[in-house]
Parts: sequence; C-alpha cells; structure tokens
Amino acid sequence: MDTVLLLTHTEADGGLPRAALEALSAARAVGGPLAVGLFGASVERAAAALAGAGATKVLAVEGPAFDDPRYGTDAAAATALAKASGATVVVAPATSRMARVAAGVAQRLGGRVDTHVTQVASDGGVAITRWFYKQRIEAKLRREERPWVLLVDPGAYPAATVEGGASPVVERLALSADGLTRTKVLGLRAPSSGEQTIRPDAKLLFVAGAGWTKKQASGKPEPERAEQLILGLLRSAGASLGSSKSLVDQAGEGQKVFEFMTHLNQVGQTGSTPRHPKGLATCCHGEEPHVVGWRFIRERRAVNLDAGCGWARGKADVLYVADAFAVMEKVNALLAAKR
Amino acid sequence: MSVDIACVGFGPATAGFLTTLSRRLSASDLPPLESAAAPGLPLQVVCYERADDLGFGVSGVVTRARGLRAAFPDLDGAQIPMAARVKDERVLYLLDPLGASRRSASLRAADRTIRALRGVLPFADEALELPFTPEFLHKQDGFVFSMGQLMQWMSAQVLASGAVQLWPGTPVARALVEDGKVRGVRLVDQGVDRQGLPDAAFMPGMDVRAALTVVGDGPVGAVGRQLDAELGMPPGNARREWAVGMKFVVDLPEETRLEPGTVLHTLGFPEPEIFGFLYVHPDHVASVGIFVPSGFASPARTTYRYLQHYVQHPAIWRHLEGARLRSWGAKSLLESGRRGEPFLAGDGFARIGEGSGSTNVLTSSGVDEAFTTGVQLAEGVIALLEAGRPLTKEGLEEAYVARRRASWIEAEARIAEKARDGFQRGFVPGLVGMALAGLTRGRVSLGHEPPHPADAVGTLEDFYAGRIPAEELARLRAECEARGVPLHDALMDRAGWPAVPLDGKLLVSQQDALLMGGKVQAPPGYADHVGFRSAERCRACGKRVCVEICSAEALRPGADGVPSFDREKCVHCGACLWSCTGRLEGTDEVNLELRAGTGGLHSAEN
Amino acid sequence: MSTGYQIVVLGSVVPDPLQTLEPAQTPQGPGLKNELMLPHVLDPWAAHALYEAANLAARTPGSKVTLLSLGPKAKLQQVMMAVGQRVPFELVALDGPAGGFTDPHEVAARLADAVKALPGLDRSRLLLFGGWESASRGAGVTLQLVGERLEIPDQFQGVDQLTPGPDGAFEVLERVEGGRHQVSSCAGAPAVLGWATGSLGEPKNNPQVGMANMRAIMPALQKAAPAPVGTGRVEYLSVAVPRTQRETRIVKDMSPDDVARELVEWIAQD
Repeated sequence: MDTVLLLTHTEADGGLPRAALEALSAARAVGGPLAVGLFGASVERAAAALAGAGATKVLAVEGPAFDDPRYGTDAAAATALAKASGATVVVAPATSRMARVAAGVAQRLGGRVDTHVTQVASDGGVAITRWFYKQRIEAKLRREERPWVLLVDPGAYPAATVEGGASPVVERLALSADGLTRTKVLGLRAPSSGEQTIRPDAKLLFVAGAGWTKKQASGKPEPERAEQLILGLLRSAGASLGSSKSLVDQAGEGQKVFEFMTHLNQVGQTGSTPRHPKGLATCCHGEEPHVVGWRFIRERRAVNLDAGCGWARGKADVLYVADAFAVMEKVNALLAAKR
Repeated sequence: MSVDIACVGFGPATAGFLTTLSRRLSASDLPPLESAAAPGLPLQVVCYERADDLGFGVSGVVTRARGLRAAFPDLDGAQIPMAARVKDERVLYLLDPLGASRRSASLRAADRTIRALRGVLPFADEALELPFTPEFLHKQDGFVFSMGQLMQWMSAQVLASGAVQLWPGTPVARALVEDGKVRGVRLVDQGVDRQGLPDAAFMPGMDVRAALTVVGDGPVGAVGRQLDAELGMPPGNARREWAVGMKFVVDLPEETRLEPGTVLHTLGFPEPEIFGFLYVHPDHVASVGIFVPSGFASPARTTYRYLQHYVQHPAIWRHLEGARLRSWGAKSLLESGRRGEPFLAGDGFARIGEGSGSTNVLTSSGVDEAFTTGVQLAEGVIALLEAGRPLTKEGLEEAYVARRRASWIEAEARIAEKARDGFQRGFVPGLVGMALAGLTRGRVSLGHEPPHPADAVGTLEDFYAGRIPAEELARLRAECEARGVPLHDALMDRAGWPAVPLDGKLLVSQQDALLMGGKVQAPPGYADHVGFRSAERCRACGKRVCVEICSAEALRPGADGVPSFDREKCVHCGACLWSCTGRLEGTDEVNLELRAGTGGLHSAEN
Repeated sequence: MSTGYQIVVLGSVVPDPLQTLEPAQTPQGPGLKNELMLPHVLDPWAAHALYEAANLAARTPGSKVTLLSLGPKAKLQQVMMAVGQRVPFELVALDGPAGGFTDPHEVAARLADAVKALPGLDRSRLLLFGGWESASRGAGVTLQLVGERLEIPDQFQGVDQLTPGPDGAFEVLERVEGGRHQVSSCAGAPAVLGWATGSLGEPKNNPQVGMANMRAIMPALQKAAPAPVGTGRVEYLSVAVPRTQRETRIVKDMSPDDVARELVEWIAQD
C-alpha cells in the first residue's frame, strides 16, 4: 500500500498556503497513511492549521534559512522531509514555491514527478489525471516507480475540511543550510507598468481581446476610450484583468496600447490559466481565451459582435451579441451608481 | 550581403529548381561548383519564402506528376502524407436544386431535358455523371497530393542536402533592377508600423546581391509583377484570366465509402461559371473546393459563401455529411497560361512556375508544369556554370528558355492557349470551346481573348436583372454600407440562396474558418501589404469587388469609402488584386496595391 | 581567460499553439493525431529563453549560446529555418520523439549527458536556460531534472529578467503569485533558469545571422545522435480531449443597456 506525504512550505506569515488544503484533499484520495511535511521560518501556525488532518506524523524543517522561497534550501528541506517520512507518494500544492523544486526533489529521491495533476484515484493502485499540451489534453496514468511526487494544480480539489483536534507533535528535522545555496532573496517587486491589474482573489476575471483596439463604430480605433472602460470596470468591480495573446503582443511591439497591460496579463496557451468564480470575455474571438484561458472559470459570459463566434459557443454560458464599448460604458455607470 | 543565386518564393517551381541544383551541388563525383560571391566556398544559394513556414497555404492538387516522377523516379506516394494514386476519376454536371443560381435560358432548357430523361441518364442526387473523363482532363496515372505536405517533403530533401538555404517568413520586397539588369533582391523592412514607417526595433530590408535571381513567387508575387511593370511584357502577352480557388480539407465521416484516390471534377453549380472538385486522400481525408473565375460577371463574388453552398449540393453532401473541417485555404490561379508569359529570362534573372505562365488551363494542371520549369532552369544553370559562362540573358535564353520551348510544357501550353476563349460567349460555348481545343489539339477554338479582368466585372443591376429590382439593390447597398459589411450575403439571401445552417463542424462562419481551418496569423512589426494608390478612385468605385471576393474578410468596407485592411486575417490569396476594377488608364495596373507581406495560413495540409 | 557565459538552452519543438490537437494511439504509446503533419514551432517558452540567452550573450563579451534540442530530426530541421534567422546560436541535436507523452526523466537523462559532453564545457560559466512551462508537458520539469543531474544548486523558475552584476553575480526576477516578481541575487554561474516570457520582443529575421547559423546547423542535424526516448514505465489508462461543451445561451437583439443591467446583476450575485 502507498503511504502519502503532504508536503508544503509555509507562507511568509507562517500560515498555511490556501492551496495546501486543496492538496490535502488530493493526498487523502491516495488512501494510505498520511504524513505531513512542512518547511519555512516557523511552522507552528501551519501545523496548527493542519491539526485534525488525520496525519500520523508531522515533520518539519524550520529556521530562518528556510524562510525565503529559494531552490537550494527548499529542495534540501523538501527532500529531507520526504526521505524522513518514508512516503511512497508525495503530494504538494502547485504554488510557485513548490513548483520551483518538485522535479528536483523527485530526482534527489530517485523517484518520479508529475505536474498539473487534477485528480488522484486509488482504485487498483494510485492513478492520476493530469494535463498535457497546456490544458488541452488530459490523461489518466499510473507509474510503477516510487517515490512519486505529485504537484496538484490549485483549484482542482476543494480545500479539505480539517476537523478541530489536538495539534500533533511536530518532529523537527535537523538540517544545516550551509552550502545549500548561493542565492539571496531580496524581496518582492510589483510590475512597473502602471496599475496592478492582476488580482488572484478577485471574484471576476475580465478578459480583453484584440477587438478593443480595432476600429469602432466611429470608423477609428479608440484606444483611450477602451483604456478608460477597461480600467473603469477593473476598479468598480474589483476584477482581475486577463488578455488575449494578440492584445498583449500589440502592447509588446512598441504600439503603446494600454499602459497597464503586460505579458503577465495574458491568458491561454502561452499565458496563465487563472481561477476565478466568474469570467467575462469581451472582444475576444479566438481559441486561446475561450478554450484554454478560462478553463478554470466557473461561470463564463462573453460580449462579442459575432453571433457565430464558434469559440464562445459551447464555451461560455451566455454570449451577448453586442458592442462591448456600449455595454461596458453602461456597466461601469451602473456599478458606479451602486457604490 | 552577397550570394550567387537568390530564389524568391518556395513553391513547386522553386522546389524543382532547388531539388535539381542541390543534387548537383552535393554530387561528390563531379567537380564542385564554386562561389563567385564567397570565393573558396561552394555555390551560395538562398531561397526566401514569404509565408511563415514552407508549404503553408499552398493548395491541394491532382496531377499526372510527369515532371515530378522524372525527378523522383521512385515516387510512390507512401513517403508523403496525404498522397494517393488516382484510382477513380469522374466528371459530374451539377444541376441547381435550389433554383438560386443564375442560369441562361439554354442552360435551363438543358437542365429540364436532363431532369426529363433522368430515368435513362446516369442521374442521381441532382447530378449527371459524364460517361467519360475527356482525354485532355484525365489524371488517371497521377496522384492526389496535399501541396503543403508535398512541399514540406521536397523542402526536407533539399535542406538535408545542406547545399542550399531556405528561409521562410522572409518576404522579398523587390528585385534590385539596375539598367534593366537584376542584381539581387531587397527584403522587406521589419519593425515598422502598418504604414511601413519605422517603429520599435526598426530594421530596414537588407539587400541581397546575387548573380542570378530566380523569380518563382507565383502569379501574384510582388517581384514577378515588379519585373512585368519595369521590363514590360512580350508583345501580345498579358494577364487577363484569373480565378481564386478555395478549399476545405475535411475529415470524412468514419463510415465513408470514398476510396483514397477518388477524384470528382464538377461543373454547373453553385453558378455555371464555378467549377468544383473533390479529391480523396488516405485515412478518410478529402479536399473539396471551387474556383471562382475573373470572368464571373457578378461584382458580389464571394468564394466562401459559394463554397458553403457547393459542399451542400446533394451530390457532394452525400459524401460530406458528418465531415469535419480540418484545414482551409485559398489561392489565386493565373489562367492566362501561355498568353500570360512574361520575359522568361534576362540579365541576372529567370522566371519559373505559375508566374511565368506555365499553368495549363485546358488540362487544369499547374503544379507539375511549374515544377518542371524549375527543373529546366536548374539544368540550364548547371550547364552554364559548368561551362564557366555568366548568367546573362543570352546564356539563360539558350540554356533555359530554349530547353523549355522544346519541351512538353510549351507544346501543351500552345494547345491550351485559346481553349477557354469560348467562355467569353457564355458557359455552354465555353465548354464546347474547351472540348474543341482539346480534341483538335488546339487547332480549333471558339470566342476571343478575354478583356482585362477589371473590365469583365458587370454591374449588380445587370447581374440581377429580372431578379432583384434596382431600387432594392440600392437599398441593400446602403444598408450594408451602414453596417460596414460586404454586400454578398444580403444579395445571395435575396436571390434565393438559403441561410447556411452552421453546424460548428464543416459549416462554420468565415471568421471561424480562419481560426479552425487556417489558423491565420500575422507577425507584428511588418507593414500592411494591401493598400490603395488613390482614395479618390476607391470612393468613386461602385463595385468594391475587392471587399466582396476577399477570402478572409480582411478587406471590409472602411471609413470614407476606402476599404479597410486587417493584416491579421489576410491569407494572401491575391484575389483582391485581379478583382480591383480601378484600372489605371493606359495600363494594366489597378488601384489596389498588393505588396510582399508575412503571415497568412498556418496549415501545411492544403 | 574568457569571462563570458556558456549558455545552454534546452528546448524542443511543439505543435504550433493555434493548431487543434487530438490524441491518438500509436505503437509507441499515446501521441497526437496527424502529429507529423502539424506545423511545429520551437516551444514558445524555450524560444523566449533562447532570445534572452542571445541578448545576454550580446551584452556579455566572450559568451556563447548553444541550443540543445531533442526532437524528430525532420521537424527540428524545419523549425530551425524559422529560428535560425533570429539570433546567433550553435545547435546540438538529438534525434528522438518530442511529444508531450514522452517521459521527462528519460529525456532529462539524455539531455544531461549531452550537456556533459559539450566540448570545452566550463561549469563555472554554465547557465542552463529553458522554459518554466512548455506547450507539450509543462512546468519546467525536464529543465529541473537536468539541473539536478548536473548538480547545479541554484535554480530559478518563471524568470522574466536576468541582470548581470559585478563579480559574476546576477539578479533574477521570478514570477510569483499575485502578478508580482520575487527578486533574488545569485553569486554566479552555474545556475538553471526556467524562463517565463520575459520582456524582449521577438527578434527580427536577420539574413546574415541565418547564413552564419545555418552553416553549422545543417552539419549538427546531420550528425544528430539517435535518442529513442519513450514513455518510460508510465501506464496510460486514458488520453482524451476534455469535454468542455457548455449550453451557451446566445442573446441577440438586446440593447446594450439591458445587457449591462443583466451583467451587473450577474456580477453582484454570490
């Protein structure tokens, strides 16, 4: 029978990353005895948050050297925890910090790794479902080799409910950080291109397509008006901004389209696949935003002038055939009036 | 930068040229051909292709493959995806089951007769099967190819030789012409805005000097047309006849009974002037498409809508019901043939392929001819280089043009020269004329040389006379103008063409065809390659055939009466060029300018 | 002594991202329908890594860029025609399958061996570049595995910027949650950098770069060693395009005002 380790770092404040409880749900699906491995500056709060998770043991690597997300120290800590746990399956949330080290840890353990995991099943041995080709093909597969490190995509599982219970005893592993790294983490930096428009916690993702820069009813492109409308919605609805590739590419080519837009906003094939409860696509006509870009958006609506848009059809819940400029003008006015 | 030979465009003609030349360059048993541009190195040969990859956007084909088999004696099709030997070839005359096409009184009478005799004629699904395929048309011993796959296969062979360089995504802006001599080519500017003005990361188009420029950029290629304009055409020659071919590559339903190698040629529907085809590739894949000719009098020529009606004709639909669009594309064909032949060679240049007038309109064959002209040029060039002779007009005339003149290309082009003139008098005389030319080996023909395509387009009022009143045409025109959409859908709806039942599989909107079938893209940083010389002339144009025929809806009614152009949608079919009715006085030039540009279809299955 | 970097970029070919992909069973395991007919490109993230490598090499005299690619020779040849015009690099090719279903551990073992075999390799100058994502398997796994096999202790993923500092040290911006970057300073090579898209535009096609590159690329392709990687000991139970079909309500003929009202109500709902 497989034994499983839920492996996660702590947040900067010592708490548990949101995605870790989702990964716990996946770890439970393995069906075997569960251990927890935590690393960070201090694991007390995170361990407490997992009290009642049903873990047989909680292991930790702790100390200031393990505070910052960094390959050398994180990979050493994660490997030590996995080794000490003796687990055959290691489940971790796909945070940027775990994604940085998961494959390296698997290599150090002499095991295997799979990323973009969305489902774990234990019928007849552990099998996983994962994405290939950038969320366009999914496969269910098994591996013989162990340990098997699984990086679970955020949003794939609901956060596990952890029954209140006594904090388990945390076993702290002694691990020296000497010689593990030549990297110093200096801090965080927000992009310098004007307003921060990426808000992972927003309820609404607003996806802007290249139609925003095309000619409008007036016969001319109206980039300033488009910019005001988009920013207006982001502010009034507290929405996060996604963009089609063609729109950010225009911005990247020296055509100053929208001051606030960078490649970080891009959703779809070469961009991100954000997760929000709702998504509204405007002026998008193409595969990427509709098919790949909002695969993890629960409720989806689109505003588009083309009723035959084969990409919104079957992909959105509602397609409004209307002029997005006119609609968004009114939406912004209504939202402003509400406040 | 200097090279010895610069080729413009990688189509079948250049493939023939480079296949032959690269074999000579890599032959270890022959003395090496040395570079004059880079002394000490082997001959430096480069080829610049406009499209983003080799084999993108070229059209599918059924061909007898005589020239191809001469160059590749072991050619059996198995090594080339989508290739099949022709097994079953038929010609169908399609009647109009909708009553919407514009048929002459004599054609309607013929249709009535066919329907009356349906019990005794090979008539099914609104189609009459001709008892045999005319000798001049048949491809019985040939192949069905995806041109994209054939080109990729040939390019792989050429590249693997290591003797020549192929560079896709690099359009040639113009030939460098000095005193009537071609000295090489200039590539397009990069890092420019839509108007071509320097923008971020501007990089002016580089000059590539070459002792020989091989112009194989097809019928609407910018370099070929530049040379026509600067050097003129041989007396009596002109490019008057064109067509746009548009096709779907489809996944046939699993239960299809169509065998690979099946070829259907059709005529009669959706309009009598529009010919069609269905070729079956291996693995349940077929190419199906139509040709809309420049002689089609309607200004509202929409190839896409007509193709949608074509595939729904009962004789076609019985094979396609349940099929799914895989790829899609469109391309201009120069149907003037021998009459459209430019100067084939001059100092420092030679013309090959369709742009050199090699397409045979009687046998409906162009690829094999184009390929063969490339082979002939290579043989000539090798002979000159081996003899240490320069690549001058005199040498090329002797080594290439004479070779071409003595070959089957020329003999068959002569037979075909007037074969289609009968269409100037109507559909039925056109067919009779073709048959006569075919059967008498060109000695007898009907009709006369066609006018400039700009003069072949009639008025809407004439085309729809008796079917749509002039006042209603004016109203439809005004409504479409106000909505900024082309006119053809409104006209066809009104003329009785039913709405297309979009199914999201094969019948999809024109915009979705760009994404699902063609994956049309255009890299940023290049200028618009379609423009208009005079806004005034556009405003005065009552027809806007360029907008109506645009295969990708890249040209739309624009502000101030000048069509707007969306580079990201253009598939470079070139139909706008020969459909522009704004002919400049005293010349064959028109108001629409088509320059070399990047982007287009990203599909190698066409 | 030269002070520049030896930048090795790992990257292979993937289907052009706009193509429609469908899985198919092959004798070698799962693959894509019409895989060989699909137009291919250099994996977009690897391509960014290559452009960043060239940019860094241009700013750091004495540097050299090597593209190490494991893919089907014919497809590599085709893709090199497009990539070869962009930036100067040397190609080392391994002839094998590049599909998403091949096992990254097998691929990594081949790539690591190929890196070790590079003539004149100097670990103290080695930067191993690649994509932090890929349009085939995803998530920068192969790159990390190669880094581990080469025992490189400093790895970065989601890199958008590398700025060389004095004494061989460099600053790295990595993408982290919330649309922000983590800023780190690394003491110097060797290091592994998995690139996001960075901020460079696509380099222009340069015929002279193309001419120079191709003289070495074709011989490199001709001597590409076979690397028959497979799916390892992975048992694929099913491979499918996910069903994402929704019943789309198409609303035509509603005024912008009414559409706006409906949208605002919808946005407000929990």
